[in-house]
Amino acid sequence: MAETGDENAGEFYLRYYVGHKGKFGHEFLEFEFRPDGKLRYANNSNYKNDTMIRKEVFVTPAVLKECRRIVVESEIMKEDDNNWPEPDRVGRQELEIVMGNEHISFTTAKIGSLVDVNTSKDPEGLRIFYYLVQDLKCFVFSLISLHFKIKPI
Amino acid sequence: MANPEVEAVDFEPEDDDLMDEDVDGAASPRAPIPKLKSAITGGSSSSFSAAKKTKGRGFREEATTADRNARMSAPFDSLDSEGGPGPERSIEGWIILVTGVHEELQEDELLNAFREFGEIKNLHLNLDRRTGFVKGYALIEYEDREEAEKAIHEMDGTEFYTHTIHVDWAFSKGPFKRKNMRRRSPRGHRSRSPRRRF
Repeated sequence: MAETGDENAGEFYLRYYVGHKGKFGHEFLEFEFRPDGKLRYANNSNYKNDTMIRKEVFVTPAVLKECRRIVVESEIMKEDDNNWPEPDRVGRQELEIVMGNEHISFTTAKIGSLVDVNTSKDPEGLRIFYYLVQDLKCFVFSLISLHFKIKPI
Repeated sequence: MANPEVEAVDFEPEDDDLMDEDVDGAASPRAPIPKLKSAITGGSSSSFSAAKKTKGRGFREEATTADRNARMSAPFDSLDSEGGPGPERSIEGWIILVTGVHEELQEDELLNAFREFGEIKNLHLNLDRRTGFVKGYALIEYEDREEAEKAIHEMDGTEFYTHTIHVDWAFSKGPFKRKNMRRRSPRGHRSRSPRRRF
């Protein structure tokens, strides 16, 4: 695949956001990998005691590269959010990625489970998004929890 | 590289959409696309300003950008760090990243190999959410820097259960793509290294 050859070329930026505004205010989880290696993580939950976690740390090129590999292998850059459920009162998700000369900024509603994926208008594309987001969260939660010794969620 | 051509075709309808948006935007002060780009760039790299093929609804919702800027402008906590080059200590130890891990590798196989360099305080061998197999990386924590250093030195680039693995620090004291790149580890310029393959 051409992507494998392009894997190291150009900038890389990734940001994911999931949140909603409700009776506990604006609750959200957001993280981003910046091109210089800065990883930022924010988790604002007002449920019970309001806890706002905002952490940042620099990761090595090796970590950024692994993040990039996960993105490349997902083939998310080939997808389009045109037919994904639109963000609503239940919540919104945003996935923004800059890789090489491509820049995606996808938005969609919260996805509760694969049922939501399978009943959507673009199950193949949304499934890729659904699993990629889980894999990215898993990676970031491990990094943040190991570095800061906090439970991210 | 036939791929970029295919992608270019895919992107064309979107470009049209964005241009329509721009016309609308001319009536109001909002300018979603430039704002978004500058927010990301954050002064970190000039190559971001190069023309990119854009795709997605996020480019057409100016409220998103303002919200995001507000969220991300608040202060973030970090561990005390003197900055500069080199690996960053985590709160209880030193974390290394192993990549190229075989998808059927078991945790104890990894443990057995890496505890040769010191007691492993923590191990994350995360799974691919779709397949249930190992995602391809592991994060390992040692208490002492020397242990982590030794693991990197001894294991990086070696064959491990039929896969070539790469082992490196996970955290850094400061940004890369700047000065001091080569002093960050004995291995030097890693971001451009051609031998790293996945």
